[in-house]
Amino acid sequence: MELIYRGAEADVFKGGWCDRPAVYKVRKPLTYRLPELDGLIRSQRTSHEAQIIHQSRGAGVPAPWLYYVSPEEALLVMEFVEGERLKTVLMDPAMTGRRARELGAEFGRDIARLHAAGIMHGDLTTSNVIVGGGRLTLIDFGLAIRSQRLEDQAVDLRLIKETVTGAHNGVSKPFMRSLLAGYSEVLGGTRTAAAARKLAEIERRGRYARVE
Amino acid sequence: MRGNLRVLGIESTAHTFSASVVGEREGVITNAKDVYLPPEGSGIHPAEAADHHLSVAARVVREALDEAGAQGLDDVDAVAYSMGPGLGPCLRVGAVTARALSLASGKPLVAVNHAVGHIELGCLLTGARAPLVLLISGGHTMVLAHSNGVWRVLGETLDLTLGQLLDQIGRHVGFASPCGRRIEEAAARSSRYLRLPYTVKGNDVSFSGVLTAAKRLVDGGAPPEDVFYSVQETAFAITTEVTERALAFTGARELLVVGGVAANRRLSEMLRKMAERHEASVMVVPPQFSGDCGAQIAWTGLLAYRAGESLAGVAESVVRQSWRLDTVRTPWRA
Ligand SMILES: Nc1ncnc2c1ncn2[C@@H]1O[C@H](COP(=O)(O)OP(=O)(O)O)[C@@H](O)[C@H]1O
Ligand SMILES: [Mg+2]
Repeated sequence: MELIYRGAEADVFKGGWCDRPAVYKVRKPLTYRLPELDGLIRSQRTSHEAQIIHQSRGAGVPAPWLYYVSPEEALLVMEFVEGERLKTVLMDPAMTGRRARELGAEFGRDIARLHAAGIMHGDLTTSNVIVGGGRLTLIDFGLAIRSQRLEDQAVDLRLIKETVTGAHNGVSKPFMRSLLAGYSEVLGGTRTAAAARKLAEIERRGRYARVE
Repeated sequence: MRGNLRVLGIESTAHTFSASVVGEREGVITNAKDVYLPPEGSGIHPAEAADHHLSVAARVVREALDEAGAQGLDDVDAVAYSMGPGLGPCLRVGAVTARALSLASGKPLVAVNHAVGHIELGCLLTGARAPLVLLISGGHTMVLAHSNGVWRVLGETLDLTLGQLLDQIGRHVGFASPCGRRIEEAAARSSRYLRLPYTVKGNDVSFSGVLTAAKRLVDGGAPPEDVFYSVQETAFAITTEVTERALAFTGARELLVVGGVAANRRLSEMLRKMAERHEASVMVVPPQFSGDCGAQIAWTGLLAYRAGESLAGVAESVVRQSWRLDTVRTPWRA
């Protein structure tokens, strides 16, 4: 098996599963955490990620097929999704405003479908989207939560905004605008406007939590 | 401007009234302070803290100037003060003091953002050059990196700060705030982990669930040291996790830890273990400068003044209770 990614939380390997290319995602022990707390978090996040991947597919949002889940070993085996990470795609010097708008709109629709199904991804960065096969596939649902709250939807949107503004400055404006347009195609203008207002509110309030 | 700039800085955002003289070559020369202590079991009362600051201001400023061996204000090039963010009544005492000193001496006023002050003083004292910053105090819990002329927020708390979490659980058992040190000492006597909610949302953290559950444990008769131990283990692991994500994302080689909670040794131990894997070095501000102090204002004031930033006149010396860190211009940084 080949190590394809070493993250803060998990190592990701490429291998096979019944003759198909597969991804093995293993959450490693983190030594700074108390072992009992660490073990609990790793197994919880593993089974949770599996459940949410399943639910996302059910909501019509492309996510990898799951092949095997083992919370005890903190291991997930899933479909290897062919393509490039959205992060890499957006950083391509040949990226055009038009293509960025298409990607933004598609991503916005996917996020809205998740939110409509009560799933907050929890880690919406451009590293967690794979562009390939004529669509976007969302991965890395380890921090996802189930929620119907506007606040949680806004937190999701805020992270993608932060990532895009920070790392993909050139295309961030057209990308974000189309993302919100795509979002409102699915969830409607009223809910989108409410989410955008909440997002602005979180930005204001979060910046300086006051000493009471 | 002369060869070796000197700046007097005044800090008064919350509990602490402090004045300091720094020099371009010497770094921190003096750092006098007097901290308002609320009665046991209660939090900071802004008006009372401001009264405290008013009553000690003249003495603290004199101490900072005298110990610098200076001919009073004649020896400094500018007067810096903490413009915000913080508590209005407290901030105003600092601003008024700085204004009076500036008028009396004819030295220019420099307005400093308190949070930027924590970061810049941390860089001075640890030698950090281009760090990822973890700012943890009563007012802030943020992970920051410098880019495009500002300190950009990569992650932060969505509700309570780490300082507030520790203070509020400490007060719940009857300690006077700030209670960070007493909590750390009590926690060191325990190794019994009681489960608390662990909430990470993307790059952000939330501590309100930890506080609610911890208070409930105390009310249910759990020994305070076990609760403190569990609060620290949980909240610090959460903090370390989002810091690690930011470290992996930015590829930074230095992690600078500043703010009052930086004095906690368990937290820096966790951060060191984490940073090892990323081959990043952890640089923690020395404990005597982790809490609010005049030196953070004086030093940042010096950097700003040297970069050409000073207020046009005393009329501009307002206070800004909620001044976002990521809107502060930092022309002294490339
Ligand atoms: N199913 C998959 N197909 C293809 N690549 C994947 C898949 N899952 C993960 N990866 C690759 O591994 C990286 C890390 O996986 P991810 O689940 O995001 O872990 P982490 O939680 O550490 O970010 C991804 O950014 C992607 O490049
Ligand atoms: Mg990921």
